Amino acid sequence: MPLKLKPAHRQELAAALAAATARGEAIAEVDVSALNRVIEHQPSDQTVTVEAGLTLGALQELLARHGQWLPVDPAHATRLTLRELIDANLSGPRRCGHGTIRDHVLGLTVALADGTLARSGGRVVKNVAGYDLAKLFIGAAGSLGVVTEVTFKLKPLPQAEEFLAAPGATLEAAAQLLEAVAGSALTPVVLDLHRLDPATPGVTVVAGFAGAREDVAWETARARALGFTAVGDLGHEPAFWSAPGAAHRLSVLPALVAPALRPLGAATFVARAGNGVIYHRGPAAAPAPPAPGPLAVMRRLKAAFDPAGIFPNPLPPPAPGAPPV
Amino acid sequence: MHPYGAARPILHKKWTAHSGAPRLLGLPGRDGLIELIGRIRRIGKTVPSTKPTLSRYLFACMTNDQPTPLSPAAIAALRELVGAENVIVGGDELLVYECDAYTIEKQLPHAVVLPKNTAEVAAVVRLCAKWGVPFIPRGAGTSLSGTVLAVTGGVMIALTRMNRVLEVDYRNRRALVEAGCVNAWITQAVKGRGLYYAPDPSSQSACTIGGNVATNSGGPHTLKYGVTTNHVLGFEFVLPDGEVCWLGTRPDGGEEVDGYDLRGVVIGSEGMFGIVTRVLVQLTRAPQSFKTMMGVFESVDAASQTVSDIIAAGIVPGAMEMMDQLITQAVEAAYHFGFPLDAGAVLIIELDGLAAGLERQADRVQEICRQNGAREVRLARTEAERLELWKCRKRAFGAIGRLSPNFLTQDGVVPRSQLPAIMRYIRACSERHGLRIPNVFHAGDGNIHPLILYDEREPDQVRRALLAGHEILEQCIALGGSASGEHGIGVEKIDFMARQFSPDDLAAMRTVRRVFDPAQRCNPHKMFPGSKRCADFAPRKQAAA
Repeated sequence: MPLKLKPAHRQELAAALAAATARGEAIAEVDVSALNRVIEHQPSDQTVTVEAGLTLGALQELLARHGQWLPVDPAHATRLTLRELIDANLSGPRRCGHGTIRDHVLGLTVALADGTLARSGGRVVKNVAGYDLAKLFIGAAGSLGVVTEVTFKLKPLPQAEEFLAAPGATLEAAAQLLEAVAGSALTPVVLDLHRLDPATPGVTVVAGFAGAREDVAWETARARALGFTAVGDLGHEPAFWSAPGAAHRLSVLPALVAPALRPLGAATFVARAGNGVIYHRGPAAAPAPPAPGPLAVMRRLKAAFDPAGIFPNPLPPPAPGAPPV
Repeated sequence: MHPYGAARPILHKKWTAHSGAPRLLGLPGRDGLIELIGRIRRIGKTVPSTKPTLSRYLFACMTNDQPTPLSPAAIAALRELVGAENVIVGGDELLVYECDAYTIEKQLPHAVVLPKNTAEVAAVVRLCAKWGVPFIPRGAGTSLSGTVLAVTGGVMIALTRMNRVLEVDYRNRRALVEAGCVNAWITQAVKGRGLYYAPDPSSQSACTIGGNVATNSGGPHTLKYGVTTNHVLGFEFVLPDGEVCWLGTRPDGGEEVDGYDLRGVVIGSEGMFGIVTRVLVQLTRAPQSFKTMMGVFESVDAASQTVSDIIAAGIVPGAMEMMDQLITQAVEAAYHFGFPLDAGAVLIIELDGLAAGLERQADRVQEICRQNGAREVRLARTEAERLELWKCRKRAFGAIGRLSPNFLTQDGVVPRSQLPAIMRYIRACSERHGLRIPNVFHAGDGNIHPLILYDEREPDQVRRALLAGHEILEQCIALGGSASGEHGIGVEKIDFMARQFSPDDLAAMRTVRRVFDPAQRCNPHKMFPGSKRCADFAPRKQAAA
């Protein structure tokens, strides 16, 4: 029977991982929902240290009371734990203006397969002591350890935020609009392109602007002149992620979003045009073969941090007949 | 043949293995003797009554009297690879490479190689791997923590001849540069197009982008714009076995990369995982407008409170730089900016962004300054006035020359709310040790740079200065901060790693080190407690493999 863990605290988790490693027993699931304390929130430092079982929604609610937020906005925040956010390196439409979670993590504590708790980084906004191990665990799908505690750098909630849309355009017209934005003085925090209904040929461009009231007024006036004629919102985001079927990801140069969308035909998609990231349904493109050098390093990392293989392994399996790492 | 030539008996090997003291390379001839005397005098002056003592050092010189350079065949092989003119094995030229901007410890590498392209870097690294010799990547050598010190000699690979901006992609706001490209050259290359490269360490007119990647460099604009890791998309990387690979985003690829974030863990690894040869950076749109202000306060506490209040008001300035009374007086004496000499602190605040909202934010900042008792708030009305305000900040270090022949700068970080506490501690520390300690620092980040003034001709002052520096960093850690905000650990701050991190934390870091560099030959003896005692790298390599 696959091993499922639901630790009450991190020492219990660490001990269970050490035992699993000793027995060579794979862990099917770790439920960290009991590790949900806010350890320290110092609003004037713009940092917060929390346990990773807390949901993103609960964290944002706490921070909003102090006029702050963690500037990431993946879908379904109320049921998403911070551990899931970090494991999957999730982001949302505001990625265009605020980057991804790696840009906001100051420190990370991870329960490793050998039962130790390893911390890297710290609680201050600027810190270069030691290796930046946190980066390894972000997006690692829980394959190197279990994130138990994290310190984030926060931002003030913007004074104003407004969304505009250019609906129903052809892909060509949308591409021209995106080029116009890229060549302008605009600094959108959201620049999404989407098609949610396969029956509709048109695509919609959504732009969001945030900051001081005067800045937002200035930017939206400019954006309207460029062709964002309608009021917009972020309704496409939950709509896309709630729809059935697996979503696939493409990542291209920001200038190549439209050419990358063309071969998708009538598939539904949401594209972060400012970042060149496309999520789509329909058939997935064949994955590019991973480069051998970095892959060998990744495999050695996996073997070093999880010698008994108790965590999942997201790395592609070695080609048949390849020498063992 | 072993690259170090035939093994020679070293009478007091244990000492050399455990000291980290500079070792002489070769028998001193006349020039060597002059150099030897110079070294002894420097050591005697800078680290009196701390290890290594003069007598132990002399003993080591006498007993370790046989040369341990690379063998002639090894040097010939390096010359063959990169051209004789690009290999330095002796003379004054080699002395340039005995240290970086952290000058208290010095050690010559056995050879310095100046490759012209990635293939040459990889070939040199492969040779070092074959010989089992350490290699040390080096940029401009501006590190303040001994990050590129050749602790046990070896081959130093200096990237300074690989310094071109290769491609700029204005549409996607990216630039591809060689690792030896100077930080400021990137911004210069794209200036006319309204773009710039955001991380701006104070040494940006000299330091290289490869060095920035190694140390995850910051600068005064960190709070708003982040550090190197937030602006470097990917890089070409030579692994310690000589394999060339690309980590992170490729120049023609999207920002998402499958697998682990190897780019992220290499940035800030202090050159211990391999050698960066080309770097793809993200460019940032230059701010449309600036509002730069200077507030004059009665005390550091009042200025610190102002910093916190500005942040609490939801305003994120591009930079907030503080100067205390001692440094203000020094700047005033040197440059006559018209600072009041009795002011406790001067705070420079710069807002940047779209012009539309800046006016009101600047009003709000001035209001906050006055609420905290600022006796004067000056707003730069013109670009010339703005540059004038920055000049006094940037010239602060230069003004120190009027106060003291020598200074030791530290690089601690505290949570911003603890700035008043650490400044009080520094004042007490200054009184306790009888040394003046002016402060000029990045207040927005809580990154302090106390300048401990001493005179190297007074051995006891040197001792007290080192002690004061240690105490201040320990207090930073005790207040929940870090021993290094931007300068790195190198050899200088090795002792603080065990105070800031647990043995388990350090073990995880060592695991990653061994994954990238199983033989631990790449920039060895840095970062980890006990490192400097690893002079016998070859047997250890076998034990670790």
